[in-house]
Amino acid sequence: MSRRRTRLPLTILAAAVGILCAIPLLWVLTNSLRPGAETFGTISPLSWETFLTLTPNVDNYAALAGTSLGRGILNSIIVSVATVAVGLVICAMAAFALAALPFRGRSAVFSVIVLSFLIPFDAIAIPLADVFRTWNLQNTFTGLILPGLGNGMAVFLLRQFFLAVPEDLAEAARLDGLGWWGIFSRIYAPLARPAMIGAALMLFLFQWQAYVWPLLIGTDSEHILGPVALANMQGQFSVDYGLMFAGAVVLIAVPLVIILTLQRYFIQSVTTSGLK
Amino acid sequence: MTSTIAGRTRKVRRGYGRVALAFLAPAIVVLVLVRLVPAASALYGSLTRSSLLTGDTRFVGWENYAELLGNPDFRGAVGVTVLFTLIINPLQVAIAFALAVLFTRRLAGVRWWRSLVILPIAVPPAVSAVVWNVIYRPDDGLANAVLSVLGLPPQPFLTSPDQALAAIIVLLSWVGVGYWMLFLIAGINDVPGELYEAAALDGAGPWRKFFHITLPMCRRPLAFVLVADTVSNLLVFAPVQMLTGGGPEGSTNLLMYDIYTRAYTLGDLGRAQAEVVVLVLLTVVIVAAQFRMLRGDSEGA
Repeated sequence: MSRRRTRLPLTILAAAVGILCAIPLLWVLTNSLRPGAETFGTISPLSWETFLTLTPNVDNYAALAGTSLGRGILNSIIVSVATVAVGLVICAMAAFALAALPFRGRSAVFSVIVLSFLIPFDAIAIPLADVFRTWNLQNTFTGLILPGLGNGMAVFLLRQFFLAVPEDLAEAARLDGLGWWGIFSRIYAPLARPAMIGAALMLFLFQWQAYVWPLLIGTDSEHILGPVALANMQGQFSVDYGLMFAGAVVLIAVPLVIILTLQRYFIQSVTTSGLK
Repeated sequence: MTSTIAGRTRKVRRGYGRVALAFLAPAIVVLVLVRLVPAASALYGSLTRSSLLTGDTRFVGWENYAELLGNPDFRGAVGVTVLFTLIINPLQVAIAFALAVLFTRRLAGVRWWRSLVILPIAVPPAVSAVVWNVIYRPDDGLANAVLSVLGLPPQPFLTSPDQALAAIIVLLSWVGVGYWMLFLIAGINDVPGELYEAAALDGAGPWRKFFHITLPMCRRPLAFVLVADTVSNLLVFAPVQMLTGGGPEGSTNLLMYDIYTRAYTLGDLGRAQAEVVVLVLLTVVIVAAQFRMLRGDSEGA
């Protein structure tokens, strides 16, 4: 009886919280679909037109193409994709060694690798930027990509999955003449597909969301990344808010689409990271 | 006989070691390049001072650390960071847990409402700062438009020393709470249903079930989320740099931003490096605790 009495208010509460969280995003989306000059005209007094438009147009998105924001978004895609491609191999190789190859001091090496990669990168970004400048890596894609290649959570997650692969399988493959690289790439990696996808997502998000590092190391017009280009816009004398919101929507939509598509693996990786 | 067998096993072991090293090598190279080298460089730099006039660098020992301790800006930043840490972390974990409990109940359309809460986790920090900068505009921002509909007076938000830190906490929670909620939902879903059935047989109400079953059974994920959340909030930078510049009156001058201005605006690299060392030591301690929690269960499983 009491259940029924509490269910309606709780449903209303759940809906209210959900809508409240989504409203800023709806507002950003709507303003990306109308001219920048109208952004503030529709705010006060508040009306349905603040959050919705009946005359959407994609001019702002088309206009992104020639701007530094458009360039930044393109660079963000290049850097993130390259990081996933190279970083996934590096992390999976390390996880394979730590799961499938018994060697002395393995657990110590495991602790050192995971722990040092778990130290948040932003904390040491400023001294690293000085080091990279002396190595002439500022304003290069190498300099932007390098810090994203190792990821403690990814190594940790992949190792958990690799540990579950039966040792007999590797042994049988060895007897059939398969080398260690073959065992890794043809047996372990395919069997851990959900973890590989989860790890790829982590590597991608690290680069896509980065702000401190690209601000320190990649600020020329050819190597600027999306978030830095977006941040630069608001410092300018006259801001085209339509363009700014269109850029924000793209920078939000790319990870959102990936997260929603790979949600299954993401949740899986969250729950298998030893939190159960 | 025995010695040759022992010799052979040792050989096999060593063989594995070499293979393992080959597989670990790329990760170790990256680790040395982007973690150890900058850490060593910060440690060394924190013990030296360069002269702007002559460009000479000399060894000064602990001087930078001692001067940092007496520096009012640094002490202000530590104070703001401590206050910020003590407010934002319990707040975010409590809200994330309340939402996790709410969104694991059987309610109409609950999956939809839950997805809406999760949406903001896709927003990169710099993008959320740009968006909320427009929301917080004192004259024509969205937040004050909402307040006026509710009949409340307009607020200065980011331009007031009393409100700027709170405004940043709201911005960060919008992005962060949904993420931490995911971990806690996983924790709640793992609580065995029989416990609730047994409690229901004993006539326990919803509050008793929450305090005697849900809360104690979720202690581990809650502890993990609190620690991981603390680390991420210790390094908040984008909203401070983009929205307040540490102001007004130093009220939002968090450690990461203080380091950034000390290094690049003031050009005081030695003391900035000393501050980096302090921050890294702090995060290492917290991260080590987090790692123990990550590892504890899985090693037994």
